[in-house]
Amino acid sequence: MSTLKSSTHGVHLRITQLQKSFGEQPVLRGIELDVKPGEFIAIIGRSGCGKSTLLRVIAGLEPSTSGDIRINDHPVDQVHAETRMMFQDARLLPWNKVIDNVAIGLRKEDRHKAEAALDQVGLGARANEWPSVLSGGQKQRVALARALASQPKLLLLDEPLGALDALTRIEMQQLIESLWQQQPFTTVLITHDVEEAVVLADRVVLIEEGRIAMDRTVPFSRPRQRGNAEVAAFIDHILKRVMGITEVESRHEAEDLPYPLKKGS
Amino acid sequence: MRKLMSNPILGKCLPWVLPILLIVVWAILSNLDVISRKILPLPQDVLFSFRDLLLSGKLIEHIAISFQRAFIGFLIGGGIGLVLGFINGLSSIAEKLLDTTIQMVRNVPHLAMIPLVVLWFGIGEESKIFLVAVGVLFPVYINTLHGIRSVDNGLIEMGSVYGLRSASLFWKVVLPGALPSILVGLRYALGIMWLTLIVSETIATNSGIGFLAMNAREYMQTDIILLTIVLYALFGKLADSIAKLLEKRFLQWNPNYQK
Repeated sequence: MSTLKSSTHGVHLRITQLQKSFGEQPVLRGIELDVKPGEFIAIIGRSGCGKSTLLRVIAGLEPSTSGDIRINDHPVDQVHAETRMMFQDARLLPWNKVIDNVAIGLRKEDRHKAEAALDQVGLGARANEWPSVLSGGQKQRVALARALASQPKLLLLDEPLGALDALTRIEMQQLIESLWQQQPFTTVLITHDVEEAVVLADRVVLIEEGRIAMDRTVPFSRPRQRGNAEVAAFIDHILKRVMGITEVESRHEAEDLPYPLKKGS
Repeated sequence: MRKLMSNPILGKCLPWVLPILLIVVWAILSNLDVISRKILPLPQDVLFSFRDLLLSGKLIEHIAISFQRAFIGFLIGGGIGLVLGFINGLSSIAEKLLDTTIQMVRNVPHLAMIPLVVLWFGIGEESKIFLVAVGVLFPVYINTLHGIRSVDNGLIEMGSVYGLRSASLFWKVVLPGALPSILVGLRYALGIMWLTLIVSETIATNSGIGFLAMNAREYMQTDIILLTIVLYALFGKLADSIAKLLEKRFLQWNPNYQK
């Protein structure tokens, strides 16, 4: 991987033998994950499986207990300058106007980037309003603009659409997909929603009890149709796997192997 | 009812209805000789003594000296309270070291120190400024500390992911987040400031509004005493209005302060 490529596209994220415990309680027990530059992966799992912790460790917000995280072969030990994160709540500064929220962390001369990012999410006209007058979906769009304004190489999404209504959520998914296609940053999306994972991601990764229990490439071309029978079957298949209703033998395999399922089954 | 409230002139007048009504009742009662004039003077007498004191220049002199004490004391005490609040809010080591001591001193009624303060500083300016500063320090300290503690952790985390480091994190996230609470402390401290000043000026002084009142007592001039009380009420209201103005200016982002 050349350095030129990494500066124009996303970063290469490699996680080896990552472990994280809170006191005596192990949360991540040896995560192995390799995300190619510009790849979009979705991490799913039941609550408490450790997926949010994994994202926080990748972001540098939590130290790992052992193991290794590398961004373009540099170990992550603190918040990385080219990493941006979107949280479940928008976390806008209520005392800053919308545009100043987007411009946070940007240099003064880069303010036009904030304006451009706000235009990209369709809120250019609301630049000089207080965040408190925006709806939940609009706040999340501002948060997305804020994440993109600094042109990150790695975008971490911690269930950013979890609190939105179904229609706004679909709109946001389409927005995220099109922005990612324009500037292909490496993306890690945490979600509860298997459909969201399948519609957006190149790969869907399932975490169970602090380990990767499944890692599947999504075989459909973009944009993906939710109504499509194959897509629906794929979603259903993964959902069953998450719920643990798969056939006994594949379940058995899943406990030992990181790639238990055949592609395109 | 809502229609009445939205009328701008009525909205401006309504807060003053009660004070004016009070004065009218006072005027009627004392003019009808229901209350002895030695106990409660006529409103017009208060007004006349106000005019006399104003024309002689004495009133302005006393008001100016009282204002000066209040202002300097507030600046010193408020400044120390603010800085201590920031230090202890941002560093847990500093809080461990200082907070217990501060809480002990805080619970001593600062007016109880008047005899000691008079012995230390005499009845000059220092004693009044010292007392005002001590009185103002604690409400500012406690509210600053509380404000910093209650800044949303999620916002601080967001700030650090978005490239803010300690100084910029403080100015962009911690300080604005703590500001509503700091302003509450400021407003409360303004009340304490007047209270302390009035008490310390009536006990040990030779100038200021409090001295005016004490001096008038010696000669049974109830009209002047009443005048000083009205002055205190008006200055208290003035201080509160300034605090409100500050809130409006700095908290316009907050839906509770909009409009």
